[in-house]
Amino acid sequence: MTFLSALLAAEPAHEAVKAAAHGAAPAESHGPLGDIIKLFGSFGVDGPHLLVQVINFAILAFVLYKFAIKPALGQLEERIRQAEQLQKDRSAAEAQLASAQKTAEAKLVAASDEAAKILADARNSAKQVVEASKAEAQAAQIDVIAKATAAIEADRVKMMNEVRGEVSRLVVETAAKVLEQNLDDAQRGRLNEAAVKQLAR
Amino acid sequence: MSAATVRAEAKRLLALSLEGGAVSADLVGSVLAALTKSRPAHQLRPLLRAYLANIRRELARGEARIEHAGPLAATEAEAIAAHFSKVLGRSVRPVARRNDALLGGFRVRVGDDVTDLTASLRLANLAKSLS
Repeated sequence: MTFLSALLAAEPAHEAVKAAAHGAAPAESHGPLGDIIKLFGSFGVDGPHLLVQVINFAILAFVLYKFAIKPALGQLEERIRQAEQLQKDRSAAEAQLASAQKTAEAKLVAASDEAAKILADARNSAKQVVEASKAEAQAAQIDVIAKATAAIEADRVKMMNEVRGEVSRLVVETAAKVLEQNLDDAQRGRLNEAAVKQLAR
Repeated sequence: MSAATVRAEAKRLLALSLEGGAVSADLVGSVLAALTKSRPAHQLRPLLRAYLANIRRELARGEARIEHAGPLAATEAEAIAAHFSKVLGRSVRPVARRNDALLGGFRVRVGDDVTDLTASLRLANLAKSLS
């Protein structure tokens, strides 16, 4: 602004110069260029003023470009770059997400297969254990039955032997009592004679 | 005196008491008289007990103790004693005792040997074989 003020302050001098020039050379400024200048002059446009305005505009443009447009463009480019980066990151994230989803699905399928396999193995093992337990129980049952049968048979034989022994003992005791009561001395004497003869043999 | 010493001494005394392989009453009296003089009282009691057991055993070796049911003729008893004298190679005299629980026959004990020819033993064996 100081510069513009200085230019405006200096404008009367320029107008004085121009007035001197107009006065001195109206006869010299004929031709097409002179007509054009005259035409612009009739619209209030003169060269020095135009020059000053051009310089002012250039300075203004430079200042605007330097301190407003260029930073704004830089920020815009930065925003664009950030948006592009965000887009790239988003794409990468989406790709990673898709990959992770595929991996998770694959793992899920594998886990499901593994679980099914483990379940089948467990069922087989349980079945085998049940079969083994059944076989063992049957063997134990057979063994118990055999032992019980053997014990019963042994008890039966023992009982029969005891009965036989008891009957024999009773028979012999009865026979002994009968003999003791019924044998007379003559019969006992004959038995003694027989025993003596047996001893002599 | 230890028990082994007592047994050995009693055995020696028994040998001194035999005459012709049989126990002699005179020799036994002599042995007892000598013992009562030569031995103190505390040694005499176990020695006399062992000597008495030996004398009894020796006397039993010379006897055929016949347990019989019913009557047993003297000739049969002599025959039994003669049989055991012949078998054992020494003189054995019969000592008979009646026991009708034997039912019939007789049982002879000579020393530690027993011969049983009784009907009760046969019945017992029969019961054992049946049971």
